Amino acid sequence: MINAMLWLALTVAVYVLSKRIYRRYPKIYLTPLLVTPIVLIAALELSGVSFAAYDKGAGLLSDLVEPATIALAVTLYKHVDVLRKHAGAIAAGAGCGAVAAVVTSVGLARMLGLQTNVTDSLAPRSATTPIALSVSHMIGGVPTLTAVATLITGLLGLLIGPLAVKALRVNSPVARGVLFGTSAHSAGISKALEYDAVTGSVASISMMFTAFVTLCVTPWILPWLT
Amino acid sequence: MKSNVVYCLHNERGLRHVTKLLKTTAQVVFFIAFSKLADMLVEWLHLPIPGSILGILLLFALLKLGVIRLGWIELGTRWLLAEMLLFFIPSAVGIVDYGSLVADSGLRIAATIVVSTAAVMACSGWIGGRIAAFKEKKTI
Repeated sequence: MINAMLWLALTVAVYVLSKRIYRRYPKIYLTPLLVTPIVLIAALELSGVSFAAYDKGAGLLSDLVEPATIALAVTLYKHVDVLRKHAGAIAAGAGCGAVAAVVTSVGLARMLGLQTNVTDSLAPRSATTPIALSVSHMIGGVPTLTAVATLITGLLGLLIGPLAVKALRVNSPVARGVLFGTSAHSAGISKALEYDAVTGSVASISMMFTAFVTLCVTPWILPWLT
Repeated sequence: MKSNVVYCLHNERGLRHVTKLLKTTAQVVFFIAFSKLADMLVEWLHLPIPGSILGILLLFALLKLGVIRLGWIELGTRWLLAEMLLFFIPSAVGIVDYGSLVADSGLRIAATIVVSTAAVMACSGWIGGRIAAFKEKKTI
């Protein structure tokens, strides 16, 4: 019990520290989403502690994912006028993006000869983590793998999102928001907020719409891709 | 420690700080309770959606109807959304249990994610931009 609490405390401590470092040196390879898991994995390997033992304490943090997701309702409520104004662009962009995510993930993974349960785990990775996890569970994927794939997707959003914005000359805040929210869920939102408030709120709504579309269409599309 | 707290409470700025902390905590507890309630509803009613989606819809409706005021939950919302990345860390650490899979298929998995993410960005950004631009033109 004490050990479990220690791992929880260590996770929070490493996160807080890496966040502080990132604030001072905002380099992409220093992002807390990358640094914190690496430091903790190293600590587990060095101490020989199993993930199950670690998760007994640190897993309490995972229980906050759902409340945090529900808190997005407040963002939605605050920006409902943005949603109303750009509903068409958001729905079309995020809808096509969400479908493209499932189709290209599964298609590529199959082409590269990955196992079926791995392929299925990759399918919902563009949705926000809690939704991706429940979809993965529904279609027979491995939830941990989905969690990691979703996380990598978020990291990529931070990394190549700004490059894509430049390369594709996505100049309107609405289109930028759709791009970040659809492709990189909550990590994308945090990046989108660095542009401006409209980009951020469009990204939040796009993320939710992407989650919704992923949830509805993944079980239907999968059989078509075999 | 104790004298610190007493000092805090005597100092107006400190008092505001403590009040804010307590309010944030209470509101986060509210969100936890709300999500448990959403999970229970999903189970009882055998709904085909996850509790988090039901929770979003329910909370949005309650805000719209004025049953819940924005001011009551704003601090908790801000904290939960600002620290969202922290809550994903334990699942990311879970990859340690899949060492052989990473060694065997890690590169192919990474390639899939990179290419697919780029495709999603191109698709969503382009379509979103086209429709937004079309709308702007129409309003002018």
